[in-house]
Amino acid sequence: MPHPARQLTLSRRRLLRTSAGGLLGLGLLGAAPGLLLSPTALASDAWQRLDAAQQVIGDATPESSGLSLDLPHVSEDGSAVALTVGVEADLDDDYVESIHLFASGNPSPEIAVFHLTPMAGKPEVSTRVRLNETQEVVAVARSAEGRVWATAREVRITVSGCLMRGDDVQESLSNPRVSVPDSFSAGQPGEIRTLITHPMETGLREGDDGEPLPRHIIERFTVSVDGDTAFEAELHQSVSANPYLRFHLAPQASGEAAFEWHDDTGDSARETRELNVM
Amino acid sequence: MTHTAMVAWSGLLLGLLFGAAGRLSGFCLMRGLANAWAVEPAQRDTRKLRAFAVAMAVALLGSQLLAGMTLLSLNDALYRSASLSWLLVPLGGMLFGYGMVMANGCGARSLVLLGSGNLRSFVVLVCLGIAAYMTLSGVLAPLRVWLEGMTTLALPARDLPGWLMQGGLGAGMARWLPSLLLAGALLVWALSSAAFRASPRDWLGGLVIGALIPGGWYATGVLGFDDFEPVRLASLTFIAPIGESLQYLMLSTGTRLGFGVTVVAGVLAGSLLTSLATRGFAWQGFPDHTRILRSMGGGTLMGIGGVLALGCSIGQGLSGFSTLALTSFVALGAILAGAGLGIRGPLALSKV
Repeated sequence: MPHPARQLTLSRRRLLRTSAGGLLGLGLLGAAPGLLLSPTALASDAWQRLDAAQQVIGDATPESSGLSLDLPHVSEDGSAVALTVGVEADLDDDYVESIHLFASGNPSPEIAVFHLTPMAGKPEVSTRVRLNETQEVVAVARSAEGRVWATAREVRITVSGCLMRGDDVQESLSNPRVSVPDSFSAGQPGEIRTLITHPMETGLREGDDGEPLPRHIIERFTVSVDGDTAFEAELHQSVSANPYLRFHLAPQASGEAAFEWHDDTGDSARETRELNVM
Repeated sequence: MTHTAMVAWSGLLLGLLFGAAGRLSGFCLMRGLANAWAVEPAQRDTRKLRAFAVAMAVALLGSQLLAGMTLLSLNDALYRSASLSWLLVPLGGMLFGYGMVMANGCGARSLVLLGSGNLRSFVVLVCLGIAAYMTLSGVLAPLRVWLEGMTTLALPARDLPGWLMQGGLGAGMARWLPSLLLAGALLVWALSSAAFRASPRDWLGGLVIGALIPGGWYATGVLGFDDFEPVRLASLTFIAPIGESLQYLMLSTGTRLGFGVTVVAGVLAGSLLTSLATRGFAWQGFPDHTRILRSMGGGTLMGIGGVLALGCSIGQGLSGFSTLALTSFVALGAILAGAGLGIRGPLALSKV
């Protein structure tokens, strides 16, 4: 009869060996899908961990497909990361009412809110945003009939490749630029691009003298066609300097579009363009 | 075609031309310097160096002509910074110059050689690209940014014309006086050699490669001009773009194809096609492990140095020089000094 202590030792050794192997196996099993899927797996519920996004979603259960968020995987310049967000879901008579953008790792997560109308045609908006570190960008969209979509995308931000440059300071709200298509087909969306010179000073940065530079940003951008609001954007400090916006308009008839930028000092700029519907 | 696609395609075209011209002419600053500074006077040959001088003169005149016609403003070029790091730009230039001798050719030359079957260049290029991105945004980047911040020196002006204008010259005069003097001096020196004049392979090579520099400014500055989505103004340069090309291979679904990457691809393809067409393609490997070490070391030094100096022998020596940026004169001087250390003197490397 084998010595009980010896048996115990043996079986313990075997147990240790098998459990070590098992742990290793489990670890690999756990790590493999994690390694393969981590960006998407983590990203898909990033909006759940962000209070600001949760407030927009409320009690609704967001759909995860149908909302696309396009950002580079890696960006060497966190001060202007190109972003495109769009709802691709089939909408029938419904339309997208608002699109909210959040940067989970920025000092304040709100980037911008876009308010759309049926006249905004295609629910797709591009802009450039500031991201101060590697993080997840979250988008939430709501339709007029109460459908909600949410998605997230991880962006890696590396140190800027550029040396600091003493860029010439230009006057705020100067040089507004608007590009509209030469002509529209009635009800068909056409691409509008706008850009204006503005520092979008965050209020978090120090000037050369060590004093914090006061916050100075464009807070609201509106587009109206013959007096009816067609597109509106609430901008926050995470939108890059010289805000760029690309969106769509789908006018039913020719008219005049007015583009207005309002900043937090009460100043504003206005541009108008004729929309020709063939 | 969108403006970004136009820029990418023209990058490919410029790269193809560079690859073909580089392959046919053997255009190489390092070879030029090594031949000109050879220890034995009997072995000295300045034709390759004179070809580089012709390229500099053509690049300068062409670029200043583009800017003078107000087609584009070279002010947005990376080289024309209002300040420079008095430590990193000269240090980077010297590291690059020394690495260029160690690896037996600069980044652009390595691309041309790889296209003709030289596998030593493959090792140089991979090490160069990784070292460049380590310095640009990787593990060495915090150190670089810290040193940059500690050693920043404000320049009196961004470029030579700007400096002369402070001295009271008019804008046109300030542009053309230094351009014509510098280009004239380079051309006179280059053409003063009968051996060079009798070698069309060299002067044609210099002429074509020099002309590609204003081509690069035109592609990114005129074809790529868009108020809303500007393309960064650039011309031919090879350090960051070689790193960017490696990154593009790995992350292409999440990045956009830019000018630098298509130029790199074009040079490789241009050299390969030319080698095949002229039946010059031949596989070449390493004779021994010390050559592998030299290729790795040279590539790494060029990657780090090229990022610190904001450009390579082509980037600063031709593109930067063509903008008359003050930074480029500092960087080019340091590249020549670093190469000199590798060719002659106590730190000289054996010839390979």
